[in-house]
Amino acid sequence: MSKVLDIRGLTKIYGKEKANQVTALSDVSFSINQGEFALVVGSSGSGKSTLLNMIGLLDKPTHGTIYVDGTDTSKLNDGQISSFRNRKVGFVFQFSNLLSDLTVLENVMLPIQMAGTPKSREKATELLGAVGLRDQMKQRADRISGGQAQRAAIARGLANQPALVLADEPTGNLDSVTSKSVVKLMKSMCSTLGQTFMVVTHDQEDFGDVDRIIQMKDGKAYETSMVRGVRA
Amino acid sequence: MVDYRLKLAKRMLFNKKGSLIGAVLAVTIGILVIHVNFVIFQGLYDAFIRDLTEYSYGDILVTDESNLIEKSDTILINWFSRIPDVQAAAPRFSSSGEINITKSGGMIETNRIPLLGVDPIQDIQASTAHKTVSEGSYVFSQNSIVLGSSIVRDLGGVRVGDSIEVGVVNRWGQDEVRRFIVSGIATAPGGQGLDFSAVVHIDTLRDMLDRKGYTSSIMVKLHDPTKAESVRDLFLASFPNDDFVAETIEESAEQQLAGFRSGIAMINMIGYFGMMSSAFAIVTIQMMLVNGKTKEIGIMRSIGARRKDILVIFIMQGILIGFIGAAAGTGAGLTYTLYAKETKLSFNNSIPLEVTFDWAKISQTALTSFGLAVLASLYPSFRATRLLPVEAMRYV
Repeated sequence: MSKVLDIRGLTKIYGKEKANQVTALSDVSFSINQGEFALVVGSSGSGKSTLLNMIGLLDKPTHGTIYVDGTDTSKLNDGQISSFRNRKVGFVFQFSNLLSDLTVLENVMLPIQMAGTPKSREKATELLGAVGLRDQMKQRADRISGGQAQRAAIARGLANQPALVLADEPTGNLDSVTSKSVVKLMKSMCSTLGQTFMVVTHDQEDFGDVDRIIQMKDGKAYETSMVRGVRA
Repeated sequence: MVDYRLKLAKRMLFNKKGSLIGAVLAVTIGILVIHVNFVIFQGLYDAFIRDLTEYSYGDILVTDESNLIEKSDTILINWFSRIPDVQAAAPRFSSSGEINITKSGGMIETNRIPLLGVDPIQDIQASTAHKTVSEGSYVFSQNSIVLGSSIVRDLGGVRVGDSIEVGVVNRWGQDEVRRFIVSGIATAPGGQGLDFSAVVHIDTLRDMLDRKGYTSSIMVKLHDPTKAESVRDLFLASFPNDDFVAETIEESAEQQLAGFRSGIAMINMIGYFGMMSSAFAIVTIQMMLVNGKTKEIGIMRSIGARRKDILVIFIMQGILIGFIGAAAGTGAGLTYTLYAKETKLSFNNSIPLEVTFDWAKISQTALTSFGLAVLASLYPSFRATRLLPVEAMRYV
């Protein structure tokens, strides 16, 4: 099984002066295979979000390498990083973060248009159908419910069929019923499309059985592989 | 299909109506100020030239070094009448005389006044001075006189039909007094016409001064004033052995116009400073737009927008602001210009402004304003691209 994400010796230190330095990540190494549903869990300040930012190329590590879909991301320049984020990484945030100036459909079309891929409308419509939002796609993004917005955000994250979808507390702002439906949706996308998900959460129980759990504590990662509910 | 960046620029701008209106108003007002300045000051300048041309100088004024042309005016007028571009030419004789100023029927002082001798037949073809006669009629006989309204006031209210004495000193230094019947009173808006002069028949004045056959100037009116230089050059080339001085209106009124021009230049400069203030207003408003869209910028960057895309989105906003502002400002300016033209706008019964639609100037103002708006959007747009996604996402 090919590795979609391979992290080696990842360290992130904030602050330039030694006295003020904070080590957010310390020598983190792990990998995620194609089609896996991985969870990154840990308490607040454990380094989960920092790790997500590094993998999503939103921030740069102090040391270490990140391979996404076989590409050493440290070798990419600014323009290549943007293009890489667009094509290889999908984001789902805690607050959905749809652009409120656009409709649901336009939000999902946006990454496809950025990539310059034709037929963005058809692809986005298909994705919105898959997440059950075909009827809401012409609504402005700020006029739909939190659960619908999160579904739309998942559709946007999948728009360019990325190698990896990164989700940061995707159920953190939802009630338990809506949370379950969003988790179910992501898992179904993982199983039906073979889409790799890496989800940061502090609430592991919401997600039930997953392929891999990375436990973060004080900037260090402790990996546990599972085979759909059976700890390896 | 509309580029997604243009769509985003439009939506982000139009959903912030307050900022949009503020920025557009800044551009609109900048342009309107320039238009109003142009209508008023250029209109005043053009009106000044118009009146000088109509009443005093014509499109070309022919004199000689001594302001006493010896050559027969008939020869000169006939020469001009053969030139197709010439509408009419008329001789004039300028001098000064004395007139008695009376109050309550008694003479209180003698005042010197400018005297203008005209050929009534030819003058009404080359000048519109006769149209300034508000009471009575223009000079029609050798003993009729038209008085400017200012002289009438000084004389204590002379009326048409009254008899007055005008005295001159002739070429031999002798006093020569003639009695005239007031045929008309001239009043021009702004006092640019014959308000301070007395107009008599040219032959009468020549006779009084004992300058028979002499002319002070020939006033030439053209069908097309833009041909003034070529007609002037042709005239001077045709009379190489005479000491004629032939000048276009800009040349003959140079001294009067020079101050005016520098005033206009200064007012225009103030207008352009106003436009630059508008540009600063746009910078401020767009900075607010950028700051208000930090989250959106972070989201766009996280889903793959390049710095260039963010730059383009905000520059497009500058283009939209510039375009709408330039259109609104030009529309408002044209409306004001049309109003000024149709109502023959003047201030305090002064000269009616000569209002023209100067399309080159209008386009230049609109384009400059548009360009400044786009230029003003560069810095905020650049600032937007400098936002790091991870920093921007902290606002999430």
